[in-house]
Amino acid sequence: MSPSSLEEIIDLVVLAGEIMLKNGAETSRVEQTMDHMARACGARYAESFVIPTGVFVTVTDGDGRSLTTMRRVRDRTINLDRIAKINELSRRLVDSRIDYQDAFAILKRIAKERTGFSLVPSMIASGTVGAGFAVLQNGSAAEVLIAFMAAAIVRYIAHVVSRLHGVRFTYEFLGSITAGLIGVAACYIWPQLSRDIIIVGGILPLVPGVAITNAISDTIAGDLLSGISRGLEAALTSVAVAMGVVIVLALQL
Amino acid sequence: MVLLKITAVFFMGMAVGVMYRIPRQLLLAASMAGVSAWLVFYFAALNHANIIFGSFLASLTVGFIAELLARRLRKPATVFTIPGFIPLVPGREAYTTMLHMVKGDYIEGLALGMQTLLIAGAIAFGIFLSATIYRLVVNYRMGGGLGHAGKN
Repeated sequence: MSPSSLEEIIDLVVLAGEIMLKNGAETSRVEQTMDHMARACGARYAESFVIPTGVFVTVTDGDGRSLTTMRRVRDRTINLDRIAKINELSRRLVDSRIDYQDAFAILKRIAKERTGFSLVPSMIASGTVGAGFAVLQNGSAAEVLIAFMAAAIVRYIAHVVSRLHGVRFTYEFLGSITAGLIGVAACYIWPQLSRDIIIVGGILPLVPGVAITNAISDTIAGDLLSGISRGLEAALTSVAVAMGVVIVLALQL
Repeated sequence: MVLLKITAVFFMGMAVGVMYRIPRQLLLAASMAGVSAWLVFYFAALNHANIIFGSFLASLTVGFIAELLARRLRKPATVFTIPGFIPLVPGREAYTTMLHMVKGDYIEGLALGMQTLLIAGAIAFGIFLSATIYRLVVNYRMGGGLGHAGKN
């Protein structure tokens, strides 16, 4: 494969890194993928540095010229499907099963496409998580049903808040307040129901699963800076969820 | 009752997979990882094991299954870890801690809060440990013995 120019290589590599970081990949995976892709495109050396809020990469060619770029990453979501796709793309690039032009086209398509599921399926999924946890807590059929609804409504709030580009942790806070209110209201109407099971089910979809696992795997890999910041993100998310519930309970008692 | 709970864990794993948008063809594998971890947790509880130790064993299971699946299916391990450990999250304990705190029962709140933190720590450490052990084993095999373990 003919080597591409430094500018072309860095365009491709930094876009791949940005997409992976935005969608919740762990730090070492982003760095390794960027390095592998740059070398596969013909760079002599590639060095990258990734933290949860930005990507830095330096690419050097055979003549010793080098080029450095950084990309700031602001809004982050979670879409593990995109990460798996870029993983696959980088593997194909390394094995020379695909050339630069095709890889760049595929990458742009991955960045744009709406993968995953739309609002209603993800509301149902969120509801299922809440309902499943209510079952694990030995909830009755009515409690499981209300937990399902609470968790689904929490997901709807996430949808609304993400459109408003709210401040961080707004969605977790509002979501847990809503779950708390639903639990209290349901228990007010039907006193035989357990308020606690409904609220626990309702807030379970707010657990910061990706932040926790990424904090762990970053720390194992030695990316201490990313590990600490992701751990802090997980801790603050849990505090936001807890505060929402505490406020509702304090008002009720 | 147990069958109902296993079904619930299975669907929870799938639902978490949908929420975090893992590739569709992996949903089944991811939720099976969750079910096996929960079964470990359940049998630990049946044998009167400490809940913290049970959570640790279960998350160790999640971690190992996730690493094995990740290697076999050539996908990031995170895809299988997250659906696996969500059913183990000490949500009830965390909630009851807050309830005690709001009521002003600080002693009970602290005791339960400590337990919650230890369970969460045990889950995190289980995933941590399994990933580390897995990496050690792979390096050992690839290096052909302890002498070359560092080279990978």
